[in-house]
Amino acid sequence: MMRETGNSKAVEDWPTLLKDNARSGGQKPFPAPSPEGAVWQFRAGGSVRSAPILKDGNLYVTSVAGALHAIDVVTGTAKWKFQAGSQVHSTPSLFRDQILFGCDDGKVYAVNRHDGTKLWEVPTGAEVWASPVIRNGVVFFGSADTRVYAVDAASGERRWVQELGGRIYSTIYATERQLYLGCGDGKVYCLDSASGKALWSAATGNGIDSSPAVVDDLVLIGSEDFFFYAISANAGEVRWKYETGLGIASSPAVWNDLTFFGSKDGFLYALETQTGKLRWKTRVGDVVTAPPMVGDGVVFIQAGGTFALDTSNGKILWRAGLAGAIQSVPVLAGETIYLASLSGEIYALR
Amino acid sequence: MDRRTFVKAGCIGSASLLMQGLDPMIRAESAPTAVPPVELRGLVDYKPSPLGMPGLFPARVIEIREANAIVRNRVSQPVVGRMLERAMKELTGERSAREAWAKFIQPSDVVGIKINPSGAPACCSSPEIVREIISSVQSLGVPARNIVVYDRYSYEIDLASYQALLPAGIRIVGIQEAFASGGGYESNVYCEANFFGEWETRSYMANIVVREVNKIINVPTMKDHSASGVTGALKNLAYGTFNNVARTHRAPYSFTNPLIGMMCTVEPLRSKSVLHIMDGMRQVWHGGPLTQVQDFIDQPGILLVATDPVAMDTIELEAIEKTRRERGAPSLWQHDSKSITADNDEFHRDASKNLFYRQPGHIAAAGHLGLGIAELKQIDHRVLSV
Repeated sequence: MMRETGNSKAVEDWPTLLKDNARSGGQKPFPAPSPEGAVWQFRAGGSVRSAPILKDGNLYVTSVAGALHAIDVVTGTAKWKFQAGSQVHSTPSLFRDQILFGCDDGKVYAVNRHDGTKLWEVPTGAEVWASPVIRNGVVFFGSADTRVYAVDAASGERRWVQELGGRIYSTIYATERQLYLGCGDGKVYCLDSASGKALWSAATGNGIDSSPAVVDDLVLIGSEDFFFYAISANAGEVRWKYETGLGIASSPAVWNDLTFFGSKDGFLYALETQTGKLRWKTRVGDVVTAPPMVGDGVVFIQAGGTFALDTSNGKILWRAGLAGAIQSVPVLAGETIYLASLSGEIYALR
Repeated sequence: MDRRTFVKAGCIGSASLLMQGLDPMIRAESAPTAVPPVELRGLVDYKPSPLGMPGLFPARVIEIREANAIVRNRVSQPVVGRMLERAMKELTGERSAREAWAKFIQPSDVVGIKINPSGAPACCSSPEIVREIISSVQSLGVPARNIVVYDRYSYEIDLASYQALLPAGIRIVGIQEAFASGGGYESNVYCEANFFGEWETRSYMANIVVREVNKIINVPTMKDHSASGVTGALKNLAYGTFNNVARTHRAPYSFTNPLIGMMCTVEPLRSKSVLHIMDGMRQVWHGGPLTQVQDFIDQPGILLVATDPVAMDTIELEAIEKTRRERGAPSLWQHDSKSITADNDEFHRDASKNLFYRQPGHIAAAGHLGLGIAELKQIDHRVLSV
């Protein structure tokens, strides 16, 4: 597995979107039983359109009110708050002592995770909704200005910039030498991580705001053309594609031989990763745009509420009526589940 | 000088009478109270534009149909591009699309494109049509930075993925984040009325309409609406521009008639709304405005183009009524108390049920306020194919 997740020694750490750069979303045994109630509730003061991350007993959450909050997971109280220049839709990432996130003011901010002070910021030409991804000390992210940026994680100094053909909302998947991402021009791109040069691109039938996962030479990603694609990571050839009922903004999570993703048609899908064959699909709401998150035998998804499903057959194990955020991802830490809601509440459930 | 636009005694009185006169099926139980006094306050000293509603071509509606415009629920941008060009030339009588668009848009304009994402992703203003509109506006020399695609709720815009699907450089703006959030509205331009004893009796006009754009291209969808009967050009403008509008419904009653039309008369909304392009690629004939049930969503591949929103919505109303007749659903004008349900799930399953006594009479009421022509016989309805 290709992972660089900062200081993720503790089991409970959850330092980036879907837990790590491999988009595994966990892969540890998590409790399947329904949580019995809220341990605490935190009000972020603005809608939360991103996913929380967790590190050393602190939950870090951004909100469209433009704030990054550090919340003590024991008490549910604020430790500090950093106010960015505009709305924030970007899920933060952790690198060493830095929290990194994009902002609608076009900047990516690096904030000290201990005290909430700004370490550096780097400008782009439009909003940054994607989550920054860190590999080998370099931060990679796309902007709605159509460009992919590589900056030094320690200083924010720009390494390179590569222009693509459309707005970028897709979070990059970074391997040792390549970057993979979707683009508003409908293409999936593979870039050289050292230079930003495009190594290949593969066209889909409409724009892409889903973020890819890469497993066994397959780039897995959904498109607004209603199809989910498996593309050769080396050559950019489409190996298989699977048609759903509407566009796919949900990013996939991969577990064992299965790939899970949601579609705007309201279903959560489980496909065999190598063949694209449908294993099961289950309706979980009217619309699914959030990424699923998969643990040991249980897949979680937020779609109007929070659902836990059996990975083997898609049967719904439980549903929590909290956290209507349809773009957020639950964070699982031991016996506790952290949820963010569209109305701006953060819940710790147990 | 404070030039409030009071319509308490004049138009409101007329509108109340109209509501009774134009809704012959209305029953006593559907109107628990009379329409209360409504105060409309427009922008002070705003000079009305001749391009404002009903615009350059009152009573004219161009309908263009193309089966290949939507195939397996996917909209073809090349096909809708050709449809739009043909319809614009027919609407204006110009020989080229560029000349047709130039009737409404100048290079120095800041152009707002008012989409309707409520109902996304199943039915919303198609990004493919919005892209064609953007392309046409840019072809006149309007820079990308002066084009704003907007609606009230940013989370609904997000559901349809407009951010990823529209060209770089244009702005995409959700006026407010969610129902409860504030900001983004002009405190001196409003509509005030107390319908049901609500604590906030004002609805304010969005800043983006008052201050930022000087032309609006309205891109409604073709949907029924549980309260107003249909949601078309008029409702997309009125309830997508003013905040705090849900207060005009309290099941099973609704004051969408006459409020929708009244809101559309307020300046500068009226003057800036120069062109209406209705996306009828999909037609929601029951469950609107938010249904995701595909059984209630046809795919007729229609585009309507007009400067007269009343005439356009009249054609839309006829089209949805026709579909409902064909499907055995009751008329949008029906006000039978047995059709009313408080069960949202039942409403979304059963086309014979509704949450409100629908108010399609809001279209005719808007006509009587001078926004356009509602009388079918007077509408110059031209049906074309590519």
